[in-house]
Amino acid sequence: MKKTLLFLFILSGISKILLAQNFEYGKASQQEIDMKQYDKDTSANAVVLNEFGSAQINVSYDNAIRLTYEYHVKIKIFNHRGFGHGTVYIPVRNNEDNNLSDDVNNISGITTYKDDNGATQVEELDTKKIYKTRDYKYQSTLKFAMPALHDGCVIEYRYIIITPFFEHFHSWQFQSNIPKVNSEYNALIPGFWQFNIALRGPLKLTKTETGVESNCFSAGGSKAGCVKLVYGMKDIPAFIAEEYMTSPKNYLSALNFDLIEYTNPYTGVKTKVTEEWKDIDAGLKNSQRFGDQLRKKDFVKDHIPPSILNITDTTEKAKAIYKWVQGYFKWNNYEGIYCDAGIKKAFETHNGGISEINLTLVTALNAVGIKTEAVLLSTREHGFITKLFPSIGDFNYVIAHFTAGGKSYLLDATDVELPFGILPLKCLNDQGRAFSMNEPSYWITLEAKQSRTITCSIDLTLQDDGKLKGTINRFSMSYEAFLRRKTIKKYNTIDDYVDFVAEHLHKIKIIKSNIANADSLDVPVEETYNIEVDASGNLDKDKLVLNPYILDKVNVNPFKLNERNYPVDMGMPSDVRFIINIHVPPQYTVENNIHDQNIQLANNGGRFLTTFTNDNNNIIFSSEVALNKSIFKPEEYAALKDFFNRMIIAEKTELVFHKKS
Amino acid sequence: MKKILLLICLLITGSKIFAQQNYYSQPISKDLLYGANAVIRDEETSVEVKDLTDVVYRVKKVITILNKNGDNMAPIVVEHDKFKAVKSIKGEIYNAVGTRTGKFSESNFEDVSGYDGFSLFNDFKIKHYTPATEGYPYTIAYEIEYQFKQTLFFYDWEPARVSLAVENATYTFTCKPDFNIRYKEMHLPEKGQVTTNSSGQTVYSWRLTNIKAFRSEPFGEAHLPKVKISPQSFSYGGMKGAFTTWQDLGKWEYDHLLINRDQLSPETVTHVQEMVANITDPKEKAKKIYEYMQQRTHYVSVQIGIGGFQPFLAADVDQLNYGDCKGLVNYTHALLKAVGIESYYCVVTAGKTQKTSMMKDFPGMNQGNHAILCLPFKNDTTWAECTSQTIPFGYLGDFTDDRAVLAVTPDGGKLMHTPKYSADDNLRSRKAEFVIGDDGKLSGTMVTIFKGTDYENREKALTDNNTDRIKGLKSAYAINNVTFESVDFKEDKSPHPAITESLKLSASDFATTSDGRFNFPVNPVNRLNTTLREVRNRVSDVHIIRGYTIYDEITYTLPKGYHLDSKTIDINIDKPFGNYTATLTLNGNQLIYKRKSQLKQGTFSGDTYQDMVDFFQTVYDADSYNVSLVKNN
Repeated sequence: MKKTLLFLFILSGISKILLAQNFEYGKASQQEIDMKQYDKDTSANAVVLNEFGSAQINVSYDNAIRLTYEYHVKIKIFNHRGFGHGTVYIPVRNNEDNNLSDDVNNISGITTYKDDNGATQVEELDTKKIYKTRDYKYQSTLKFAMPALHDGCVIEYRYIIITPFFEHFHSWQFQSNIPKVNSEYNALIPGFWQFNIALRGPLKLTKTETGVESNCFSAGGSKAGCVKLVYGMKDIPAFIAEEYMTSPKNYLSALNFDLIEYTNPYTGVKTKVTEEWKDIDAGLKNSQRFGDQLRKKDFVKDHIPPSILNITDTTEKAKAIYKWVQGYFKWNNYEGIYCDAGIKKAFETHNGGISEINLTLVTALNAVGIKTEAVLLSTREHGFITKLFPSIGDFNYVIAHFTAGGKSYLLDATDVELPFGILPLKCLNDQGRAFSMNEPSYWITLEAKQSRTITCSIDLTLQDDGKLKGTINRFSMSYEAFLRRKTIKKYNTIDDYVDFVAEHLHKIKIIKSNIANADSLDVPVEETYNIEVDASGNLDKDKLVLNPYILDKVNVNPFKLNERNYPVDMGMPSDVRFIINIHVPPQYTVENNIHDQNIQLANNGGRFLTTFTNDNNNIIFSSEVALNKSIFKPEEYAALKDFFNRMIIAEKTELVFHKKS
Repeated sequence: MKKILLLICLLITGSKIFAQQNYYSQPISKDLLYGANAVIRDEETSVEVKDLTDVVYRVKKVITILNKNGDNMAPIVVEHDKFKAVKSIKGEIYNAVGTRTGKFSESNFEDVSGYDGFSLFNDFKIKHYTPATEGYPYTIAYEIEYQFKQTLFFYDWEPARVSLAVENATYTFTCKPDFNIRYKEMHLPEKGQVTTNSSGQTVYSWRLTNIKAFRSEPFGEAHLPKVKISPQSFSYGGMKGAFTTWQDLGKWEYDHLLINRDQLSPETVTHVQEMVANITDPKEKAKKIYEYMQQRTHYVSVQIGIGGFQPFLAADVDQLNYGDCKGLVNYTHALLKAVGIESYYCVVTAGKTQKTSMMKDFPGMNQGNHAILCLPFKNDTTWAECTSQTIPFGYLGDFTDDRAVLAVTPDGGKLMHTPKYSADDNLRSRKAEFVIGDDGKLSGTMVTIFKGTDYENREKALTDNNTDRIKGLKSAYAINNVTFESVDFKEDKSPHPAITESLKLSASDFATTSDGRFNFPVNPVNRLNTTLREVRNRVSDVHIIRGYTIYDEITYTLPKGYHLDSKTIDINIDKPFGNYTATLTLNGNQLIYKRKSQLKQGTFSGDTYQDMVDFFQTVYDADSYNVSLVKNN
């Protein structure tokens, strides 16, 4: 899946190559203008004909070191459904104090189209019609709409960004949601800097060239040669997303750069940035916005309610601390591993980012003598972390980890409904890096010890009037309990929630209900419903019909693609089982049996099992759907899709009762 | 005793907002808690018109957030632009027991660009801040002062919301005696008062007390208490004006916002004139112009300056090939003018789920959010939506149908009504010929015609690429294992358009076997898939804002050697708000299913709702009828 290109930037021994040239601006060929569809993907509303980018570290006019990034693209738009590609957004980052920011220059754009008489016309982008909006503290966006969009037009635009944040060497996305004919990226990196370069995604490069250019960089009297790198891909297919996937970023083919080491050209001092984990550990430890926060043990301890301090059992104490932190703070929707306002400010405002809240948790646990680590991770939306070399850049989330009584606990205190030891789905993304103030960091698997588990028992008695009366008992456990609570809490009252449940039960009346443990986070949610089922509704008066899948029935197959070249990632295993017991009085007969099902996925990946017994007085039907794995590989996709298909058909089964006359 | 406590309180906390009352521990009455996620304890809104370009607008608000769902009412979002400046913001937060846990002021607010959800660019900005504290309930008290530099419109006063109860709220509007206003009170329990204050100013005031939280009800409309105020004389962006009627307001809009914005280059004028030179019928000419506009423009919204009210220049749209609704309407108007066809720029409140009319008795600038074009052909008034690249000339659809709009003409404004789509207009009619194989496989053809607002619902499929089309069909016709062997759409692009969808399809295991029987649903393609929820203590009338009619006819050829082992059906329900019939008949080896369902536009009393619940339940049951086939002996 992942392919790596690791380059050692040795400045000798590589033959000199010419940097590939950017393609000519403003020239749409007759063939491009006449193009009616993209033959390699006739469903495409637009296709990137050519895309070129280059990035180089150089010295600006005011003697500051900058990264100059140039972007140039030419897109064929077949119809109005592709017009969205004619609206361009360029993010502009700035630092904390907003005195350093990206500088976007030389934006130009041109649209080539055929007018009503079939003559080729061009229209240039009016740079007065470029708008800038302020998005949030660290970012603005430049926006423009390309002029004169017509069905079949060719648009082309380019711009240059000069950025002071050159350590974040610009990555390159080869793949997007429309196909590309050609995409190429050039990088020119002076010998003062060393980057790790990684290619992500399943597609292969069709062009890689490396070379050197001597004396291409000078600053403060020191000179260096540069490494020149050329990467290209041709005929890149569009990326299609489907359910149960982690971030598309994990699978889109892209090239990423991470700084390992640099030499200050002015002083000659060499700094290793992230060559080894111990360097990253030290950086975190010394960071004002990370390590310093973890040192505020005394400050945090002063806030801990005294009743908690008196608890002696470690796990109980940890639970109390966790609950206190959960309740004390509200998450302000900011992610990131570094504190923005800091723990002290967060205490004042009861409000903080992921980092403030969970670093408070880590600090509080440490303050009461429970040895706890901060675990850095990347959320599912955010993408996988690279494991090829140490890197801090990929993390966007931090949680707490401690061990007690031989059990290991992962905690996220930013959601007040999360039970102790359960992580939200967004955090279940491969591995995290456990960090503490005095020991080396290490990888820790985030694959949770949690699952979506439901067990349900239904006991019904068929009445002489054709109705079935009885009870449903449903237990939602582990992560399912968390989700159930979230749903219950969406409603102001339990009654409103029961109304919501009733809405989804057709021909079934809820006579009485009881929801237990909606607020006790660490036990299963138990729902009890006394119900009355009207089985006669099927227009045939002599027959009563009941689908035994009263709750938790799967109706639609989430997998619809013919093939999928990235994995299905459900985050955690699941197990849904129920047993239904129907007491049949002597005046009724049961017309049919339900065939037992036993559908298995390979390597114990999952099973769908049903059993049916009928002794004329009692029917017992049980069903279990278990998916034992979190992740199914692309080669398992067809089997998984078929599994769902067969299960959906089987869940349509009906029991038919007949009244003896 | 009380006085002393109060004094101490003041000394300790300094300047508390609303210090005279302790909202933070005082219980809220049970009535107000029912269905509420938050309660406004006290809100004082005051507007003081100092002169035509100087209005002070103050809001003091104390709101208690009761639970997590109420958190979305905690953020304070302050809009500002060149007509509206923020003078000061300050506030405090109190926890469940009434202890102050935080303070905030303007410096805590983040200032970012405004975003309306669809524009590329807006020139208003927002400052936002979310006060928070531990646990629930918590209370936020704050005070904001703005200065408005215009008097063309004032914000509506509407403190109650769905799931938000109001303990106490007041609105005062203060102005010089010669500043005349008109006001409209809607759903107010008590009328407002007009008094004169000590400085001789006129003071209008309204009060709301103990307003329960509104709960949203299916087919219901929340009648929230509201006061609207409009000026008589005003100033806006250096322009002055006065109005008491829609005629006046429309005249002002025409003279100040529209006039001369319809100029086109001589080349464009010549071009379009040549384009229609051979067409004599004015309506055909207009159609040609409209289609020309459609194929060379698309929708991009940029709101700058008085952009909220004023369209881009037609010449700019002509060059850029894009514009927002106003720009595209004005451009189309200009093109029509170039070929001698009259048209009106019309302001409308667009929305699919609500039909909001311009208020006949209350002209005002803050009504409307969209623009459309009206072509006043004699006895054939024609309407055009100018932001779509694909819909036919003369078709509006459910975004702007059946409501009063303001036509802005050189002679002034006039209210006009857009066409209504009746239950008979919104028609879907389907005919399918299916064969069930002896392996349970379904195969056959299905032809469906979509008309009225249903045309628009299907229209997107026309320009979908093949992958999306199949995806769309699979979700529209959720038959397990369905594959589409051929898909064809035909479009009748008249002002009363229709789409004919012809499908050839098959689905293996459609009829599932058990014990040598085949079971299958007789209505696999148009099943009602939800019922209506029961609503206790319903308060609102039943509003069906748009009707529809659906016909289905499916003929199944049964596999040889099998016979039907289920009863045929004949259902007929007729209610004032709709009707339903379904029949299943057997004719030799052909099973024929016919279904008709209709819902009618109208307002019915609240009690009708229970009838609707039963109606939908019956339809649901009937739609899920399954039949069995058994092998002949």
